[in-house]
Amino acid sequence: MKKIVISFLLILLAISICGTTLKVWAMGEEAKTLPVVTQEFEKENPGVKVEVQALPWSNAFEKLLTGVAGRQLPDVIQMGTTWMPSFSAMGAFQDLGKYIEKSEIISEDKFFPGSWSTCVYKGKVYGIPWYVDTRVLFYRTDLLAEVGYTEAPKNWDELYDAAKKLAERPDMYGLTFQTNEIQEFIPFVWQNGATVIDENNKLKVDEPNFKEALDYFARFFEEDIVPKAGSGNIFQDFASGFVPMFFTGPWMVSMIHEQTPQIDGKWAVALMPEKITRTSFMGGSNWVISKTSKNKELAWKFVEFMSTPEVQLQWYQLLKALPAVKEVWNYSELKDDPFTSVFGEQLKDARATPNIAEWEKIESIVEGVLEKRVLGKITTDEAIDEMTQKISKILK
Amino acid sequence: MKTRLSAILIFLGPALFIMTVFIIIPIALSLLISVTDFNVYAIFDWRNAKFIGFQNFINLFSDEIFWKALFNTFYALVVAMPLTIIFSLLFALLLNRGATYLKSFFRLSLYLPSITNTVAIAVVWAWLLNPRYGLLNWFLGLFGIAGQNWLSDPKWAMPSIIALVVWKAIGPNMLLFLAGLQNIPDFLYEAAELDGANRWKQFLHITVPSLRPQLLFVSVMLVIGYLQLFEEPYMLTKGGPLNSTMSIVLYLYRQGFYQFNFGYASAVAVVLFGIILALTAIQMRLRKYQE
Repeated sequence: MKKIVISFLLILLAISICGTTLKVWAMGEEAKTLPVVTQEFEKENPGVKVEVQALPWSNAFEKLLTGVAGRQLPDVIQMGTTWMPSFSAMGAFQDLGKYIEKSEIISEDKFFPGSWSTCVYKGKVYGIPWYVDTRVLFYRTDLLAEVGYTEAPKNWDELYDAAKKLAERPDMYGLTFQTNEIQEFIPFVWQNGATVIDENNKLKVDEPNFKEALDYFARFFEEDIVPKAGSGNIFQDFASGFVPMFFTGPWMVSMIHEQTPQIDGKWAVALMPEKITRTSFMGGSNWVISKTSKNKELAWKFVEFMSTPEVQLQWYQLLKALPAVKEVWNYSELKDDPFTSVFGEQLKDARATPNIAEWEKIESIVEGVLEKRVLGKITTDEAIDEMTQKISKILK
Repeated sequence: MKTRLSAILIFLGPALFIMTVFIIIPIALSLLISVTDFNVYAIFDWRNAKFIGFQNFINLFSDEIFWKALFNTFYALVVAMPLTIIFSLLFALLLNRGATYLKSFFRLSLYLPSITNTVAIAVVWAWLLNPRYGLLNWFLGLFGIAGQNWLSDPKWAMPSIIALVVWKAIGPNMLLFLAGLQNIPDFLYEAAELDGANRWKQFLHITVPSLRPQLLFVSVMLVIGYLQLFEEPYMLTKGGPLNSTMSIVLYLYRQGFYQFNFGYASAVAVVLFGIILALTAIQMRLRKYQE
């Protein structure tokens, strides 16, 4: 008996010395598809096994929170860009500075500035971009042609005009916005050269350009150009023409093809409308290495692997997720695709929200006030006052 | 004596252990955290939390969303509780009659909502209440009644949620009343009829007093339950529109898990605990007084 136990333990010891397991947490569709790519990594690094745990987006946030609190984190984690500031503030991630310095594959200039900014917290780099997303205008080419627009509206005036004309059709609207989603509102703020807080964390909502953006956004609600209750089902509404224009991200391209193939060829995507700029919102996911990981070198190797142009291109082919590495965008597969190329163009002018721990709270305030403003409960001046008063308290 | 003690420990042990670890200790921790400023920086390193006395509670006092949540929760309680009791009692009475057909079917279908997963129910109800594609507005349309934006109109969102919770709560309360009704001896009703009492008088003077224990239990449980309203607004409206469906527990959850203000959220929990305790004590007192 004793001999069996000892030899069993020796075998276990041998396995653990020869082979390491890299634990990765990923979410949603990405988690399901990741094993295809990690197989290659395992081949290139014999003895290494990559264990991917899939977390559904609906409870990934809580699971991460619990993991941080209980110090039970894996080696590598897929981290949504909007979650970066909170978790960075918790101190859960490894500072990647020295790894980047030594790396031949990863450096700041390989990635989009908006995307890289989500990885930097208090001057240190805590993540490496994996894939990005940005928002563009989805529109019905046929319906817009009927109101005189053979191309998508290019600027604020055209967007307003086209939407208003489309809303004149009985029981139909021109556009749809959510009443309280900052990712839909803030691009307009940026397009007008304004912002909520600047790089020095100074509040800028009382500037006239911010006010103008708020007025512009609210006007769509006031003049009944957008449905106040929102879209019941965006696929049905887009297909029926109830909502012929809306802003969203790359994942919707294949979803619209799948859900409403009957409108294939009757819709397209276009860049954000221009005011001073055509800035859009940028999201995506980054790779982070947890501070408590015992395999940091290996984890870094994995992140480097995922950042090589070959793997980035492969990932695009698998999931149509937009690559974070800039040079991949020169490949014809992306450059020549009518939809992807628009996203690529938009990525040149896309920003992420500030990467500070207080942003969650600021976002919450802006969204609450925005909702009140667009539903007509308060005026623009009152909205600005409320935002100023509440956000100042957080920033002091 | 010695064997009795060890027997007690063995039988109560597991339950006591679970209660201590999962209920008593978290409650104690929550009380502790409510007097600190435990926030995002303290999650990884507890030493970042500082003792701040009653500051959380003072801030709560001037927090307009907290008061809205309090108002909303009481609005739900005040409307939902009588409705739940009335409907549960009504269905129990209907199921108690000899003349009702298909009793088992109705008992089952009235009880089913309470054991069905809230998440599944919420998804279906969100569709039913959809202003453009939902069955409710279609049905109202058949009678020429204009459909409303049930979940996105601040006026209608809370009533919609109330309708959902009442529908869900009928089951167990109805069964409780049914059991109570079946324990009322028939001769009481017969005697009352002989005395010339009509059905309504019989109900008021025989049925209701006999159901006192059930009514007390149901009202205490409903107060405790409805003040903790969370799942339905969380699934259907996330507290909107314009915070019209923000309940206390939902507010607590957002403060804690979205904004990481765990100290503040714990203070909300302590306040809620105090309110429920007070209301329950008052109810128990009132009943004693009535006896």
